[in-house]
Amino acid sequence: MLETRGLRVVGDRVLVDGVDLTVAAGETVGLVGESGSGKSLTARALVGLLPRGLRAEGSVEVGGTQVVGASERLLRGVRGRRISLLMQDPFTMLNPLSTAGAHIAETLPGRTSRQEIARRLAEVGIDDPAVAGRHPFQLSGGMRQRVALAAALAGDPELLIADEPTTALDATTQHEILALLRRVQEARGMGVLLITHDLRVAFAVCDRVAVMYAGRVVEQGPGAELAAAPAHPYTSGLLGALPSVERAMERLVGIPGSVPRADEVAGVCAFATRCDLVAAACTEARPPLRPIGRDRLTACVHDAAGTARPPLAETASLTVPTAGPADGEPLLHVEGLRKRYGAHTALGGVSLHVNPGETVGLVGESGSGKTTLARSVLGLVTPDGGRIRLAGLDITDRAALDPRERARVHRLVQCVFQDPSTSLNPAMTVGAALAEASARAAPGDRIGVAELLELVGLPAAYAARRPKALSGGQRQRVAIARALAVRPALLICDEPVASLDVSVQAHVLELLRGIGRDLGTGMLFITHDLAVVRQIAARTVVLLKGAVVEEGTTSTVLDAPAHDYTRRLVSAVR
Amino acid sequence: MAFVARRLAAALLLLGVLSVLTYALLALAPGDPEQVLLGPRPSTAESRAAVRAQYHLDDPLPVRYAAWLGDAVRGDFGASLYSRESVTSVIADRLPVTAGLAGYAIVLTLAVGLPAGLVAAMRRGSPLDRGITLSALVALAIPPFAMSILLLYGFAVTLGWFPVFGAGETFAERVTHLTLPAIALATGQAAVVVRQMRAAALDLAGQDYMTFARARGVGRARYWFGYALRNTALPVLTVGGLLLAANLTGALFVERAFGLHGVGELLVSAVGQKDLPVVQALVLMGGAVVVAVNLLIDLAYLAVDPRVRHGAVAA
Amino acid sequence: MPGTVRLGGRARRLRRSRPGPVTLLSGGILALMAAAALFGTWVAPYDPAAQDLALGATMPSWAHWAGTDELGRDVLSRCLAGARSALLWPLVVALGTCAMSTSLGLLAGYRRGWIDAVMMRVVDLLIAMPGLLMLIVLVGVLGGGIGWAVLAMAVLFTPGDIRVVRSLTMAQRELAYAEAARTLGLSRTRIMFRHLLPNIAPTVVAGALLSFVAALVALSGLSFLGIGLPAGTPDWGLMIEENRGLLDLNPWAAVVPAALVTIAATAATLLGDQLFERLSDA
Repeated sequence: MLETRGLRVVGDRVLVDGVDLTVAAGETVGLVGESGSGKSLTARALVGLLPRGLRAEGSVEVGGTQVVGASERLLRGVRGRRISLLMQDPFTMLNPLSTAGAHIAETLPGRTSRQEIARRLAEVGIDDPAVAGRHPFQLSGGMRQRVALAAALAGDPELLIADEPTTALDATTQHEILALLRRVQEARGMGVLLITHDLRVAFAVCDRVAVMYAGRVVEQGPGAELAAAPAHPYTSGLLGALPSVERAMERLVGIPGSVPRADEVAGVCAFATRCDLVAAACTEARPPLRPIGRDRLTACVHDAAGTARPPLAETASLTVPTAGPADGEPLLHVEGLRKRYGAHTALGGVSLHVNPGETVGLVGESGSGKTTLARSVLGLVTPDGGRIRLAGLDITDRAALDPRERARVHRLVQCVFQDPSTSLNPAMTVGAALAEASARAAPGDRIGVAELLELVGLPAAYAARRPKALSGGQRQRVAIARALAVRPALLICDEPVASLDVSVQAHVLELLRGIGRDLGTGMLFITHDLAVVRQIAARTVVLLKGAVVEEGTTSTVLDAPAHDYTRRLVSAVR
Repeated sequence: MAFVARRLAAALLLLGVLSVLTYALLALAPGDPEQVLLGPRPSTAESRAAVRAQYHLDDPLPVRYAAWLGDAVRGDFGASLYSRESVTSVIADRLPVTAGLAGYAIVLTLAVGLPAGLVAAMRRGSPLDRGITLSALVALAIPPFAMSILLLYGFAVTLGWFPVFGAGETFAERVTHLTLPAIALATGQAAVVVRQMRAAALDLAGQDYMTFARARGVGRARYWFGYALRNTALPVLTVGGLLLAANLTGALFVERAFGLHGVGELLVSAVGQKDLPVVQALVLMGGAVVVAVNLLIDLAYLAVDPRVRHGAVAA
Repeated sequence: MPGTVRLGGRARRLRRSRPGPVTLLSGGILALMAAAALFGTWVAPYDPAAQDLALGATMPSWAHWAGTDELGRDVLSRCLAGARSALLWPLVVALGTCAMSTSLGLLAGYRRGWIDAVMMRVVDLLIAMPGLLMLIVLVGVLGGGIGWAVLAMAVLFTPGDIRVVRSLTMAQRELAYAEAARTLGLSRTRIMFRHLLPNIAPTVVAGALLSFVAALVALSGLSFLGIGLPAGTPDWGLMIEENRGLLDLNPWAAVVPAALVTIAATAATLLGDQLFERLSDA
C-alpha cells in the first residue's frame, strides 16, 4: 500500500538520505529515531507536504500513485482518501476557530449529517455528541487528539501516518490513544505508519519497526526480535540507554558523542564515529541495508547480531538506592500545602518529606501540582496554606524571613529545570553564569568554574561558550553545575531529562545519581516517567490533582501499587 | 456579554477623559478665558457680558464643564470665534472633502496593502518579497507632508498629470484632484497593512493546523476561506484602529500641503487662530470616531473568534 | 523536526559577519547628517539667516546650489543648519522614551502586582488617545515652544514601548534561566538588568530607533503646521511650509528639505530593522 524506495529529502543539504519502507494493509509499522534522525521529514515527504525549501527525491508510491513530484491537484485527491497524517501536538493541530464537528465534516465524503459526525466521534471513543459543537480550546489534550484522529480518518484513508501522536500527552492518555489507534486500525484494516522517538511505544504497538539514524534506516524487523536481539550497534545502544521500568540498573550508559548530519556521513556508516565495533569496512563505503534472516534487515557490516551488541544491556542489579535515615529531622518537611489559582486547586493539602541525602521521586501528570509544589519549595510561589520546613527553618513565606535567613535558604535548595533550551541565559557565557552562581555560595565554600564543569563532566574550555553552542544534554549539565555551585543540601529536579533524547538522558541521569551518591545531596526528583523514577529514587510519592495518592519505597509503589491511579500509571507503561 | 460591557465602559471612560482634557484647553490657554472667547471681537462691556453669559463663565468650573458637555452631546459647540457661524455648520461644510479623501485613502490602502502583504508572504525570501518588505519600510518612514510635496513636485508640477491645488467640483474632478492627496495619505498606512498581512500570513503558514488541513485533503475553498482568511483576519483587524488614527492626523498634513479645505485644514487654522470652540469640537469628534471604530473592531473579534466569545482569552 | 530545519544557514552567517549594503548605506547617511548637525553651520556657504530681498527666489545656480527662497536666503545653508534641530530633538525624545519605557516596562513586567496594574491602566488610557492630534492641539493652543513639544512627545511615545517591554519581560521571567536566577537569590535589580534586559535588548534598540523616526516625523510635522518653532528658524519642516508656494519659482526650496526628512527617517527605520535582525540573530 505504501512503498518508498531511496527516499531522500534535500534542502541546501541532504536531510534524509535513503529510506526504504513498505507498509501493507492492516499492518502497523513503526519508524523510530531520536531528534534529528529525519523521521518527521520522512512523514511529511510521504504526504507531499515538506516545509518550504525542501524537496523529496526517489520514489514514494501510495496505493500505486507516485507522490514524489506529483502535482498539487493529484495530491489533493490522494491526501485524506488514500493517505492521511496525524500530527504531534493536539493543541496546535486543530483550527482554533472551528468546532470539532466542522473539522470532521470538512473532510467527510458525500453529504454530512449530524448522525454521521456523531458516529465518527463514537469511533474514536467520544460518546457525547455535544462534543461536535465544541471548539478546540474547550477540550482537553486527549480529547483534541481524538477529534484530530476522527478528522484524519474522515476521508476513510487506507493508510494513516501518525507522527508522534502521543508525545504531548500524559502517560495514561498516551496509553488510551495508542490503544484506540490500534483498535481503529484493526477495525478498518488500515495500514499505519507510527513515527515515534519512544522505543517502548514502537515495540508495544507495531508489527514491524524501522530504526532511523542520521537520515537513513539502519535496522528493520519485527519489534519483539529487535528488542531481544538488535542487529545494529545503534539499536543496541538505544536499548542499553533506555531506563528500565522493571528494575533499577547499576549503571546507565548513553551513547557517546552526538548524531552527525546526514550529508556528512553520506558515504560511510553513519554510526561509525560512535561505534565500539568500528572496522575499516565501516568507513570505506556506506553499508547497504541487507537482509539477515526472515523480515530482518540491518545496515551493519558485522555479521552476527550478537557481536553487534556491546555489553550494555547486561546491567541488571537490583541494588535500590538506600533510603536515608528515617530518624531525626527530615531535610525537607512539607505539611498540608495548599495553593489555588482562581477556581483551580493546584495543591490541596500535600504532605511529604525528604531526608538528608535521600532521593525522593515525585510522580504525577500535568496538572497534578508537582511543579507548583517545587516552585513553593523554591520560593517562586507563596502557598496559600500549610507549612514548608527546610533544615529546621520555616520557609513557607519567604518574604517573612530576615535577609540572612533568606540568603541561607538560597544556599540550601537549588533547582534543575526541565527545558534545556531556556535553562541558561542566552546572553551569558557558561563561565559567567557559573561564576555568578558560585559567588552566592558561603565564603569558605566557593567552587571554581573549572571545577564545577569538571564535576558535571564537561571540559573547562566550555566556560567561554554561550548556551547556543551547546547541545541539550550539555546545557542540562551546565544547569546542574550552576545549581551545585552553592553546595545545596536539597536539589529539586523538575523533569530534568524529559526533553532529552534517550541516549543523552542516560548520561544526565547517571550524573545526577552520582551526585546523590557522592555529594550526599538530597533530591526531590519530579518526573512523569516511571522508568526514570525507578532508576533514581529510593522513595516515590504519587501526586494526583493536587493530592498525594500513594507513597512508599519505589519498588513497592511500582511493583505493588495500592492506589487505582498508580495501577493505571504502571499498566500504561508495561 | 461581560466583554461588551467592559469595552463599552472603557470607551465611555476614554471619551470622558478626552472631554475633560478638551475643556481644560480653555482654562489652560494663555490669557483670560473671557479674552480668549471674545476672539477678534471688540472688547466692550456688552460683548464681555454676552460672552460671560453664553459660556457660563460666572459659574464654578464643574458646572461650566457640565453645561458645555451637555451642549456638546446635543451637537451644540457654540459658534466659531472668527466666522461667527455655528461650529457644527462650519464642520459640516468641510466634511465632504475629508470624507472623500479618507475613504479614497482607505480603499487604496487595502487594495494595495492586502495583496502585496499576501504575495510577499507566499514568495517568502524571493526578490519580490525583499522588494515589497523594503518598500514597506521606506513607505512607513516617509512623513505624509514630505510625501505630499514630493508627489506634488513630481506628478503635478514636473509631469503635469494632476492638478496642483483644490478639490474639484464634479465627481470626476474630485477623483483626479484627490488622487495625489489620497496616495500621500495611504502610503504609510498601506505599509502598516503590508507588514501586518505578511506577518500574519507567514505565521499562519507555520501553523500545524494548516498542514494538518492539507494532509487530510481539505477542499481548496474551505482551506482558503475557512482557514487562511479567517485566521489572518484577526491580526490584520487589530491595526484597524491604528490606521484610522493615522488617517485622521495624516489628513491634517495632507490637506494643508495640497490646499484642500477639509476638516484637517480647519483644525490647523483653528489652532493657529486660537478658535477654541472649533478646536474643541473637532478633537472631541475625532476622539469619538476613534473610540467608536475601536469598539466596532472589538465586536468583530467577538464575531470571528470563539475564544473571545467564551471569555477564554482577552482580545 | 521539520520546524527546526534552518535554511540558508551559511548565507545567514556570512551576513552576520559583515554589515550588509542596506546597513552601510543607512548608517552612512545618518552619520553624514549627524556631521551636518554638528559642523553644518561652519561649512555652510552662507549665513542661513542672511536675506537678499533683491534676489528673491531663484533656481539652483553655481552660487546657490539649491537656489534661494522668497527672501533670497540660501536653501542649502538653511538645510545644513536645519539638520541640528531635525536630529537633536528626536534624539532627545528617543533617549528619553527608551530610558522611561525600559525601566518602567521591566519594573511592571517583573514585579507585576499593583505596580503593574496601576501602570497598565494609565498606559491603556494613553494609548487609546488620538495622541498626535492631542499633541498638535495642546502645543498649538497652549504655545510653549519646542521644549514642551519634546516633553509631550516623550510622554506620548512611552506607553506603547512600555507595553512591549513589559510583555517581553513577562515572557522572559517565566523562563527557566530567570527562575534559576531567582532561586540563587540574586537581587531584583541584577535579575532585571543583567539577566532579562540583554535578552530583550534587540527590541529595546529597535524601539528607540523607531521612536527617533516617529519624533523626527512628528516634530518636522509640527513645524510644517507652523507649531513649535518660531517662524524663520532654519528647520526642515518649517522650510517645507514656507516654501511650498514656490513650486513654480524654485521647487527645490521645498523639495530638498522634504527629501531630507524622508531620507533621514527612512535611513533610521532601515537601520533599526537591520539592527534588530542582527541583534536577535546573534
